[in-house]
Amino acid sequence: MAHGTADDFDARILPHLDDAYTLARHVLGDEHDAQDAVQDAALRAFRHFAGFRGDNARAWFLSIVRNCCLTLRQGRAVDRATVPFGEQHLAIVRDDDRADAAAIAHSDRALVTQALAEMPVEFREVLVLREVQGLSYAEIAEIVGVPAGTVMSRLSRARRRLASKLGVTDKEAS
Amino acid sequence: MQCADCRALLDAYVDHELPEAERAAVREHLAGCAGCSRELSDVERASSLAKEHLVHYRAPDVLKARISSAIAGERSVSASAPQVTRRRARWWPLAAAGVLIALASGGLTYALTGQRGASHGVADEVLASHIRSLMPGHLTDVQSTNEHNVKPWFDGRVDLSPKVPDLDSAGFPLVGGRLDYIDGRVVAAVVYARRQHLINVESWPEHGPDEDPQTTNARGYHLVYWRSDNVEYWAVSDVEPGELTRFVEEYRK
Repeated sequence: MAHGTADDFDARILPHLDDAYTLARHVLGDEHDAQDAVQDAALRAFRHFAGFRGDNARAWFLSIVRNCCLTLRQGRAVDRATVPFGEQHLAIVRDDDRADAAAIAHSDRALVTQALAEMPVEFREVLVLREVQGLSYAEIAEIVGVPAGTVMSRLSRARRRLASKLGVTDKEAS
Repeated sequence: MQCADCRALLDAYVDHELPEAERAAVREHLAGCAGCSRELSDVERASSLAKEHLVHYRAPDVLKARISSAIAGERSVSASAPQVTRRRARWWPLAAAGVLIALASGGLTYALTGQRGASHGVADEVLASHIRSLMPGHLTDVQSTNEHNVKPWFDGRVDLSPKVPDLDSAGFPLVGGRLDYIDGRVVAAVVYARRQHLINVESWPEHGPDEDPQTTNARGYHLVYWRSDNVEYWAVSDVEPGELTRFVEEYRK
């Protein structure tokens, strides 16, 4: 099978949109931002797919998704820093998300979600890539662009934060 | 093995990422160390809680529609002018839209007979707006699947609040609304989805006799124009022409 054709793109990249959206959603914390980042990433992947020679299309695509998320985050940070007043952004009306509401009602889930949201983004992304996507340290290292040892230490600190968050609450509850 | 060394490796141990020699050393230390064993159960618990509670989301259909529409646009561009898109990779959103708009303008087959619809410039602008809306972040200014959120949002922003019928049961869920600039004025764009495709409906006040829907197409996109009650409408999409016709019938009901 030749690499990098348009049909290949549909077969090798598009099946990973759920993973891409999951990563973006957890990293950005906002469904609309996550959609923008994934669309941006899909178009970039499409444009560069002809030059892709690797075997792991999922890791390659997720690394692009991650970069698009970080770019979008930086843009948001600049927006917040330089646009102090006025109606700079048009209103977004959010529909009730029953799945989210049901999830929040469950206390462990709420705590895990909250603990994740409070983590620095470099902990958050490795935790999601490992626990939700089930990727190996080598794959995560490729996506994030750090050595596997760094993946391990970030994952370790992310889990300890999670453990202490839930451990503290257990004591309060008893 | 010291406790500090063991603890540094516990996550890799849990994840089965250790070479067998190190794995055996950790296992041996754990067998004789209650402190590290407690630490191990914390790591396992955190890991299983994360696995259980962190959501693996499904990409929304609207996102898939945006991506497949945008990639269809890319394909039609790159089929005609691959070098242009590559050279302008850093300017890709505007470049891609610009190239596609230029190609579309050259290739539009104007089958419209109506007085207003024969205006080439408006059809070009409607198509350009549709293509621009497919770029990341440009689809909607107000995103909602509920017409009671979308319709009031337009109040005070455009001359005429557009029709926003609920067509979900007909298979055309509402995506949201947006402001566009067409024919020298700010107009309302209402966005619907059809499976993995998007439909934009642009409308604005325009005096004149009612005109029945008329269809034209360019570059894989279809446009339907009609006028009723002194409002001009344009529906544009890459869905099958039959689907777009059915959409227009539902929208006009």
